[in-house]
Amino acid sequence: MKKSLTLLLAAIFLGAIIAGCASNPTTGTGGGGDNTGGNDITVISREDGSGTRGAFIELMGIQVKEGDVTKDMTTKEAIIADGTDIVLTSVANDANAIGYISTGSLNDTVKALQIEGAAPTIENIKNGAYPIARPFKIAYKGELEGVAADFVAFIFSKDGQDIVAKSCVTMQDTGPFESQRPEGKLVINGSSSVFPLMEKLVEAYLKINEVADIEVHMTDSSAGMAAAINGTCDIGMASRDLKESELEQLTDESIAIDGIAVIVNKENPATGMTKEEVRAIFTGEVSIWSVE
Amino acid sequence: MTTSTNSGKHREQIMHIVFTLSALTAIVAVGLICVFLFAGGVPAMLEIGVLKFLLGKDWSPTDTPASFEIFPMIIASIYVTTGAILFGVPIGIFTAAFMAKICPKRLYAFLKPTISLLAGIPSVVYGFFGMVVLVPLVRTWFGGNGSSMLTASLLLGIMILPTVIGIAETSLRAVPEELYEGAVALGASHERAVFFIVIPAAKSGVMAAVVLGIGRAIGETMAVKMVAGNQALLRMPKEFLKGLRTLTANVVIEMGYAEGLHRDALVATGVVLFVFILLINLVFSLLNRRSAL
Amino acid sequence: MKQLSKKKPFDLFLCVFTWLCAGTTFLVLVFIISHIITRGLPYLKPSIFALKYNSENVSLFPALISTFILVVLSLLIAVPIGVFSAIYLVEYAKRGSRLVKVVRVTAETLSGIPSIVYGLFGMLFFVIRLEWGMSILSGAFTLSIMILPLIMRTTEESLKAVPDSYREGAFGLGAGKLRTVFYIVLPSASPGILAGIILSVGRIVGETAALLYTAGSIARIPTTPMASARTLAIHMYALSSEGLYTGQAYATAVVLLAMVIGINLLSEYLANKIVK
Repeated sequence: MKKSLTLLLAAIFLGAIIAGCASNPTTGTGGGGDNTGGNDITVISREDGSGTRGAFIELMGIQVKEGDVTKDMTTKEAIIADGTDIVLTSVANDANAIGYISTGSLNDTVKALQIEGAAPTIENIKNGAYPIARPFKIAYKGELEGVAADFVAFIFSKDGQDIVAKSCVTMQDTGPFESQRPEGKLVINGSSSVFPLMEKLVEAYLKINEVADIEVHMTDSSAGMAAAINGTCDIGMASRDLKESELEQLTDESIAIDGIAVIVNKENPATGMTKEEVRAIFTGEVSIWSVE
Repeated sequence: MTTSTNSGKHREQIMHIVFTLSALTAIVAVGLICVFLFAGGVPAMLEIGVLKFLLGKDWSPTDTPASFEIFPMIIASIYVTTGAILFGVPIGIFTAAFMAKICPKRLYAFLKPTISLLAGIPSVVYGFFGMVVLVPLVRTWFGGNGSSMLTASLLLGIMILPTVIGIAETSLRAVPEELYEGAVALGASHERAVFFIVIPAAKSGVMAAVVLGIGRAIGETMAVKMVAGNQALLRMPKEFLKGLRTLTANVVIEMGYAEGLHRDALVATGVVLFVFILLINLVFSLLNRRSAL
Repeated sequence: MKQLSKKKPFDLFLCVFTWLCAGTTFLVLVFIISHIITRGLPYLKPSIFALKYNSENVSLFPALISTFILVVLSLLIAVPIGVFSAIYLVEYAKRGSRLVKVVRVTAETLSGIPSIVYGLFGMLFFVIRLEWGMSILSGAFTLSIMILPLIMRTTEESLKAVPDSYREGAFGLGAGKLRTVFYIVLPSASPGILAGIILSVGRIVGETAALLYTAGSIARIPTTPMASARTLAIHMYALSSEGLYTGQAYATAVVLLAMVIGINLLSEYLANKIVK
């Protein structure tokens, strides 16, 4: 009986491998097809559900909507990286890679492409020349009071928006900040893209109002909204527009606008692309770097 | 006097019960884990359709309508585990043989702590190492983009080494010295005696090492997802330079974001993994029992 | 090795091959450690040990303290249960009883379960069902189940290693069973038990997947058991995930490695003590 069990397990493994061989893979890249001479593009995408991915596929037309049916057309061959760091490291190490990250996380290990001729600078995002940008949102249930209200007032004040200006596009500010210095606890939860900015805001605010106690949890946009709805946090953070189902229960406000940079390896000769080219690469229609 | 012995007896009885209850904790824990995982995952499986969930090939959780089918991940877990075994087990067993029978004593005192250190390195650290060192290495040596089945197998192969070496070494040492001496007396060289007499004699222990290695490899999460590419695509073994997504990676990548059916589908992915582990454990305990006899 | 030249080619091949394999294993370790240290050491500045975490100093100190708290809490839960179950298995249970077999099998099962499954279970049970939320407490309970089999096994082995003559001697002098266990058997088995505890500390320190969904990732020293906190391993993971602090993540890895090495040395020392 022991032997038969061992055999059974071995058979399952073997069977699975054979099954894997027998059924054809669902999709394939054009790998070495029509465009000759170039290298295969290594497409790096974020994971399903990430706010950055959600905003990117929507803005670039990678998400196709037909009535009730929406489909994410990101090529299934794309490497899935579940963090900005993994995208950065992968692109920095692979001459053929292309990925996308929040402009706030850009550094000099990679090269950000111009899109439609505009570089992802704060200026270009502000005047709309750079097309890939999304709002950083906060959302809450009902009316804010105490620390939460005071903190939100801080975010929209000149002091708060000055902090935003360091990495993102600012919103209209409400002038200098006067704290009511309320006491109490405030829990913020949500998008990991908004997190670094929120962290800075909270630190600055706590310098003004030391008696407040603020906790910032880093999860993601959807979890943050869910937490705001079910009351486990006071303010949720999202790096995308809220869904209708979320808007039914929450009030949202944009605290900043953040660009999404399309990044390639520094050795890559390309300096800019059109939106259409980016879309074609990320949907897998183009899978080879053309030789220029 | 009588009261004190009485209270002593009471204490004995109470502690006996406490000890027994403690021993039951392990059983309760396994029970709880089973109940909660299955309760969390099985309804989602039923809603999606068990066969569709297990054997379908399309994983598109954020589309409407979404589809949750994990066959590619099941296969991927099996591939990288097989790969890890192919890399890790031969090196592990030879290293174990080296440590048990060939290694000079002084070197052993140095090598043994090294191996246990290898076991102690956190898997996130392995993941960083894999992403920054192994991925580019595989890309330049073998081609492809580096995040691949091969890279994941290599990294897992390294990670299961301490497990395989530890158990294999113990079982090699447990082989009676007479067997080795007999072989040498009959004219076998030292190496031949070790490889053709001692290792076969420790067969069941070595098998146990392999099975435990399989368990480690299939359950590894944080390191694998950093080097495997994580494409939810069905691969063939010859596509070993392309990326794939294991069951564990599927759970950890999307769990933070998931809600509703998506989340339950991920828990169900965990259930499938759990069943795999239970099967492996079963085989392991059977092997163990045989080696004990 | 002396008579290398005298060896037959096949024996020589086997011999060289085993050396190669052992060498590979060793080199891999050296490579990993040197990689981490060269990347992390430049960032290992005093500011990284500041009392409070903020985005300027990226201090790992709160994570260090949280790690410590989590270790202590998990051990507080797991060690008594683990040691008591081992006492039951070795000292109280009748040989070959069915319960003993079942306990052994379940303990083996527990030790084989991957940490991500523990993470899922912890989330479903402690965080959601018991409504503890993402907290140190949820994390500690999840981890204590995870290390329970390790403590049980090492304790069981060291209890078995205590010679029966000790017990007989104690009984002969009129000590009760409980007294014998606590005053005679446990003290002689303590180095082995300690070694097991230290191994489990190593496991807790390196754990990520099981804590991600149970203890959360707040970079603060927790004030209550219900507060969320991050351990060093989670700290490293969280730092790297936004790509802003990769250097500091490596520095955290250096500290983690140092801890792991320390833990290993300690358990090595204790293990040697048992042999003597």
